[in-house]
Amino acid sequence: MSARAIRTIPSKCLRLAWLFVLLMPVARGDDPQQATPDQTGPAALKNLSLEELSQIEVTSPSKEPTPAFRSPVAIYVITGDDIRRSGVTTIPDALRLAPGVEVAQIDGSKWSIGIRGFGTRLSRSVLVLIDGRTVYTPLFAGTYWEVQDTLLEDIDRIEVIRGPGGTIWGPNAVDGVINIITKSTKETKGVFASTGGGNVEQGFFNFRYGGGGDGGDGPTYRVYAKGFTRGPEDHPDGNDFDAWRGIQGGFRIDWAGGGRDAFTLQGDAYKQEDGEQVTATTYTPPSTQNVEGYEQLSGANLLFKWKRTLSEGNDFQLQAYYDRTNRLEPNLGEDRDTGDIDLLARTKLGTRQELLYGAGARISDGRFDEVVSGLVFYPLHRTDYLISAFLEDDINLVTGKLMLTLGSKLLRTNYAGINFQPSIRLMWTPDDKQTFWASFTHALRTPSDAEDDFYLSSFIGETPGGTPIFARFNANPNFAPEQLNAYEVGYRRLIGKNLFVDVAGFFNHYHDLFSEDITGGFSIQTTLPFPAPAPPPTYLLLPAQFQNDLYGVTYGGEIAPEWRPATFWRLRGSYAFLRISLKQALTKEIAIGPASDNGSSPQHQASFDSSFDISKKLQLDLIFRYVSALPDQRVRAYSTGDARMGYRLGKHLGFSLVGQNLFQPGHVEYLGDPGGPVAIKRSVYASLSWVTK
Amino acid sequence: MGGISRALPVLLACVTALMLPSRTVAQTDLEYQVKAAFLLNFAKFVEWPSSAFTDSDSPIAICILGKDPFGRAIDDLVQGEAADGRKLIVRRTSQLPAPQACQVAFVEGSTKDVAKIVNGLGRGVLTVGEGGSFLREGGIIAFVIENRRVRFDINQTAAESAALKLSSKLLSVARSIEK
Repeated sequence: MSARAIRTIPSKCLRLAWLFVLLMPVARGDDPQQATPDQTGPAALKNLSLEELSQIEVTSPSKEPTPAFRSPVAIYVITGDDIRRSGVTTIPDALRLAPGVEVAQIDGSKWSIGIRGFGTRLSRSVLVLIDGRTVYTPLFAGTYWEVQDTLLEDIDRIEVIRGPGGTIWGPNAVDGVINIITKSTKETKGVFASTGGGNVEQGFFNFRYGGGGDGGDGPTYRVYAKGFTRGPEDHPDGNDFDAWRGIQGGFRIDWAGGGRDAFTLQGDAYKQEDGEQVTATTYTPPSTQNVEGYEQLSGANLLFKWKRTLSEGNDFQLQAYYDRTNRLEPNLGEDRDTGDIDLLARTKLGTRQELLYGAGARISDGRFDEVVSGLVFYPLHRTDYLISAFLEDDINLVTGKLMLTLGSKLLRTNYAGINFQPSIRLMWTPDDKQTFWASFTHALRTPSDAEDDFYLSSFIGETPGGTPIFARFNANPNFAPEQLNAYEVGYRRLIGKNLFVDVAGFFNHYHDLFSEDITGGFSIQTTLPFPAPAPPPTYLLLPAQFQNDLYGVTYGGEIAPEWRPATFWRLRGSYAFLRISLKQALTKEIAIGPASDNGSSPQHQASFDSSFDISKKLQLDLIFRYVSALPDQRVRAYSTGDARMGYRLGKHLGFSLVGQNLFQPGHVEYLGDPGGPVAIKRSVYASLSWVTK
Repeated sequence: MGGISRALPVLLACVTALMLPSRTVAQTDLEYQVKAAFLLNFAKFVEWPSSAFTDSDSPIAICILGKDPFGRAIDDLVQGEAADGRKLIVRRTSQLPAPQACQVAFVEGSTKDVAKIVNGLGRGVLTVGEGGSFLREGGIIAFVIENRRVRFDINQTAAESAALKLSSKLLSVARSIEK
């Protein structure tokens, strides 16, 4: 196919999308529900049970102001229904639905995710929680996105906070917070089963059974299992290394023990094999080679939560969890146990103030397996701890109209001393339909093993005499926390009954930001600063270190309108603008300059989607997205789109057909694998689902 | 193959445009149809003291106080229904009803002075309102919209002081229960 043909598709589609919008007034006021009175007419509603009535969708989320509408942070809520209707099959892909989040797929099982910049494979300054469990790894500082999964149908919502988010979120909430919340088991009774497959999503199954709650107050539960096998993405060199397969299962029990107390116990376990290609560097020959193999990933977690309501506005919650992760990659291995306990309480002070406070402690024990001498954490076994506390005061200056929030986090880790992270937020709600807010936050990312005790080597070449030359990032026990001062403003408005607009702007000032510095000249070495399976030959070393030598600003904004022209049709758009301008603090040679951060995030991102109920049985969802170029990743701007058609075959049985990345056979979103760019394929899958209530 | 797959999104968009449903007469919002069905169900899952009725034959009256968002939908729904041997009827009133005239009282969300109305109704009336603040004003059941669905919260203290017994079924479906 010609390149010209590919380029004309987006504009054609945009034109059609606009045609779509223009046709809209014709449909206004129509109600397709009326076309099938047997389903939802008054007579039919009469025969539905209370539970069934609770499941009927009646309105757009914007109609009744949600808590998110009235919060002084840039928050976007992806609902479970949004996820289902988008046709995505992974949590990283679901995050594309939120404005200001940069999601770039590196290969079959890896993503770079950033919020307001700084997208990397591990998203080091984004805090990710699943039902209150932090999934941040202190080894490389960040989130291994490929193992963060659950039954997508059980996700109630994903709250995405752009910016530092405030006081009560945990450590490392600097650029943003992603809070994945699953449904209560009260809402997942009965059987759900689905299965399907396609060209990339080769085959999958999902199963859940939920029950209990007999007699009103009894405990409710669910169990689930899922499995998938995914094919490789498109590799120009024909080296299809990134196939991916996995299984996962879990359970959850909820019990509201007589009203005052609520208990939750839940757990998951998973096992995966992710194909990857990595550079294996060794001080002994062959010095460097690209190795392919399957990462063996497994893990399990168990979480317990107890919430007691003392009176209205006075409650506390205790949460404890244990998490185990095992990774064995072709060039490294790690086993980690994490234990965490958190207490969170809320107290009303008079009629105008609400106090939120809490404390937590985490201990994380990691055992590193050295596979190659070019990538070593030393000491191999270490235990890290973190103690945190926070206090936040919500003060109603003018009841219902003007609220001031003051708060601070205190954080103590074994990497750095006590850190103080204050925030101040002001929210003005002149009426039910508008919210203005502004905030200042000081936030920081604590150092991790990746700076503190990490030795990363790369082979540069050989001298004419045959001596190997290596550059090595040596461990930096003096790495300081990365710091952010964030200034944010936002405005939300409900216009009429059906149009909702959310606008946010930010100016972030970073200092002590992560840098990759060369720390000296070449020297002849015969030893290594860590134990290796074999002694190194004489080599030439260029020493380097991860330091805190970048500073600078980022600024930008996001706008996300949502319009519900009719009960059966929702249109959403979003546009995010971002500028990153970082500089190096010291005039010394820098291995990878600030351009890496400056040029690895898109300046412009836009999306447009339509969710349309053609009839009670047939749904059509279309998503268009545009991402501008990433010069430092050598990624060109791209536009692509997804489409989903859902058809209800009967009371319990549904069918859906999903196409993803439809505009081109393949497009590159991010570099990151040693073998060169991987193109994310156009993909199609079909699925059948069965639900009982 | 390339040509067909390139045309797919365009085709899908066209299909949607052509399948826009034909015009029909606008009727009661689905939200209020569902809320009306809930009101009917509430009547079936609540036990009233006999003092709430004038006599053993008097019906269970679902009263809409003030603004009526239901229109004919609720009449169609309640038509011919009975609970606990009593006929169900719908009444509309702009004034505070007389004692024993209403067993279920629905107060629309934009109504002012809700606390006054709720207090004025007294015992034996199941008060149903809209939005989170209704329970704080002394109401018994409040409809809330959550995740695009109609849910409801219950204030059990208010139910008890109104001498009403709510079935465990009702309590188990409620989104939250205040005590």
